[in-house]
Amino acid sequence: MSRYLLKRLLLAVPVLLGVSIVVFTMIRLIPGDPALLMAGQAATEEVVRQIRQSLGLDRPIVVQYAYFIRNIARGDLGRSLFNGAAVTEELGQRFPRTARLALAAILVALLIGVPAGILSATRHLSWVDTFFMVLALAGVSMPVFWLGLNLILIFAVRLQWLPAIGHETWKHLILPAFTLGAASAAIIARMTRSAMLEVLRHDYVRTARAKGVAESSVISRHALRNALIPVVTVVGLQLGTLLSGAVLTESVFAWPGVGRLLVDAVLARDYPVIQGAVLLIATMFVLLNVVVDMAYAVLDPRIRYE
Amino acid sequence: MLKRLFPVLLAVTVAAILVLPSFAQQTGGTLIIGRGADSVTLSYYATAAPDSEVLAHIAETLFRLTPDGKIVPHLAESHSLSADGRTMTIKLRRGIRFTDGTPFDATAVKWNLDFFRNPANRIQFQFLVSEVTSVDVVDSNTVRISSGRAFVPLLAHLTHDFIGMHSPAAVERAGGMQAPVGMPYGRAPVGTGPYVLKEWVRGDRLVLERNPNYWGPNKPALDQIVWRVIPDDGARVLALESGQIQVAVRVPPRDTSRLVLNRDIRVDRTSSLRTIYMAFNNQRRPFTDARVRQAFNYAVNKRAIVQTILGGAARVSDAPIAPGIVGYAPVMTYAYDINKAKQLLTEAGFPQGLNVTIHHPSGRYVQDAAVAAAVQAQLRDAGINARLVTMEWATYLQVTNRPVEQTDIEMFMLGWGTVTGDADYGLYSLFHSSQWAPGGSSRFFYKNTQVDGLLDQARAITDPARRAATYKQAMGIIMQDAPWLFLHSESQITALRRDVQGLIVHPTERVLAYNARVGR
Repeated sequence: MSRYLLKRLLLAVPVLLGVSIVVFTMIRLIPGDPALLMAGQAATEEVVRQIRQSLGLDRPIVVQYAYFIRNIARGDLGRSLFNGAAVTEELGQRFPRTARLALAAILVALLIGVPAGILSATRHLSWVDTFFMVLALAGVSMPVFWLGLNLILIFAVRLQWLPAIGHETWKHLILPAFTLGAASAAIIARMTRSAMLEVLRHDYVRTARAKGVAESSVISRHALRNALIPVVTVVGLQLGTLLSGAVLTESVFAWPGVGRLLVDAVLARDYPVIQGAVLLIATMFVLLNVVVDMAYAVLDPRIRYE
Repeated sequence: MLKRLFPVLLAVTVAAILVLPSFAQQTGGTLIIGRGADSVTLSYYATAAPDSEVLAHIAETLFRLTPDGKIVPHLAESHSLSADGRTMTIKLRRGIRFTDGTPFDATAVKWNLDFFRNPANRIQFQFLVSEVTSVDVVDSNTVRISSGRAFVPLLAHLTHDFIGMHSPAAVERAGGMQAPVGMPYGRAPVGTGPYVLKEWVRGDRLVLERNPNYWGPNKPALDQIVWRVIPDDGARVLALESGQIQVAVRVPPRDTSRLVLNRDIRVDRTSSLRTIYMAFNNQRRPFTDARVRQAFNYAVNKRAIVQTILGGAARVSDAPIAPGIVGYAPVMTYAYDINKAKQLLTEAGFPQGLNVTIHHPSGRYVQDAAVAAAVQAQLRDAGINARLVTMEWATYLQVTNRPVEQTDIEMFMLGWGTVTGDADYGLYSLFHSSQWAPGGSSRFFYKNTQVDGLLDQARAITDPARRAATYKQAMGIIMQDAPWLFLHSESQITALRRDVQGLIVHPTERVLAYNARVGR
């Protein structure tokens, strides 16, 4: 098991190296010049040239990449071209906020999605099933900013129960977590439902029922556990996406996380910030994949990694 | 092993989410302003309103431009100009100290101006004082600024918040102010202002605290001023309605009709010094013909655009610069007249109309893409078939900045904020033929020797009335010549809670809170 884990982690190195090369070249190939953006509309050609030089953007791209990799080895992701802040510091400040929001959102999604999925499956084709599946359809189709603004309107402006924006206390977390978790809840509910329907047809479920096991126990111990493998996969992917930042939710709730940082960096052609953020996100994904694979073994003793 | 770890991990996760630091909000004397973008640097390397509106509270200027367009001394007590207009002597107020305790005197002013104008420091706005050849200390409260030639706009330029006075000792203590963004000092600015920087969490909030020893007659009333970054326009307005913030800047026009019904909220519309235009490539056929350019101006109903798309929060341009700028005068507008447009096109040899491609940004100016679409629709009535190309700002800035022999742009939309409050910056930078892109800011390659001559002259005329007359003459020629499809100047819509008093929404697109109070 630990050997397997080590192998998986070592494999991450070439993956991340590949990601870094792709990001590094791609952002330099798209049109748009950070020096020109910084200089602004009123700047002269000379000023633009000087800025480009002071940012080191006049050097050949291979040289720039070599410096980038050398600095990463030293734990330095460079400084923002746009505001001079250290990228590691910026990510260090923003990632915990994103993580807090992502974990809360996935918690909301699990608390709503899994029970909804189980209820739908056990009452297949009943009104309960229809109700939850219509709700799930609404959940995935609702634009995040629309849902977010409406929640603010109801709970912050009209009822005054919760703050509209910000990220300071647990109260600030409720609305964005719900907004962000809604779509994931819908996906998890549908996935749980179909996996449960599949499992409930199996012989061992019939056997369990036949030998008189209580229905609640059949559902939770015999069926659910077996149905969880695809659900865990989806949760892992959802969490990965949420951890890469949710730019719309972050914008609506003034929650300065990684998503907004990355989008702003792309708009400003802030190369070091884009590179740093993408590498962080890629790392998160690789690690989450490993965790999900480990979770399979926990859920199903037949799965062993050697 | 992992099996046993799972519940623990889950518990830790839940705990991490629930146990969060609490932050005390909104005590008696705090004003919270919601804005869309954060400051970048609080130093001489500032380039935009989110920087200058904060800097105005920290690092004060020698002179100030009042919201009604007057220049008044501030850290300066008075000034005099030599007969040839080349030497300005400035008397400074006595007894002022920077908030780090060091004295504000002639030596400090010289240090600041010398730093700003030194080309080696690569300050983007260096052109504001590029005509200055020397700054001399006459005595501890008098400085003399000399220019190579008469340069009258200098006084207006010294009101610019980007040339606030910083403490030289503080710059050194912070480790300098380095190109391109003025770090590390840009995160720890020290000036003479009524407020001092307390905390700045990037992308989130910037907090200023009262300076208890402020020198000026208007003592700061608020304990704190907080700028919060709320990127979403709708959310910014909702945060105001919920009372979580007291001021929301850049309110979208669509929200104003709802806000005016709210008794707790006041909506302020202040015209800004920003002019929105669509420029022709004046060196490219068919736009080399003034009749074609004029035809476009007649074909577009600017008033309808302002009323419907901008909800009335704009003003149809009657000059290339906006009211409130020293040197502005209403010159003329092109009435909406389709027949006249068609007639001019026929005279110019386009009786069947013509095709044109218009480049425009999206999300940069108020309703920019909608304005472009309206222009497109209206041009069609005059037989002009316009194709729109929308571009993201970074790409757009680059594509429109090519030299005349390389560009293939026919027509494009852009805005220009005359942030110095003086006509020179609004006219010379755009309409003088020495300012063609990429060396200068004229991306539409206008050349008129008569206009060039007048703009050169006006820079050296010390008599305000004669100077204004010269600008009026130049603007008359420009409007007739129509190097642009003249559109409008923007208004800034700011919404504030009723208990906020004394807030200044300045035409230079800054919200200034140094005289503000929050009533209980």
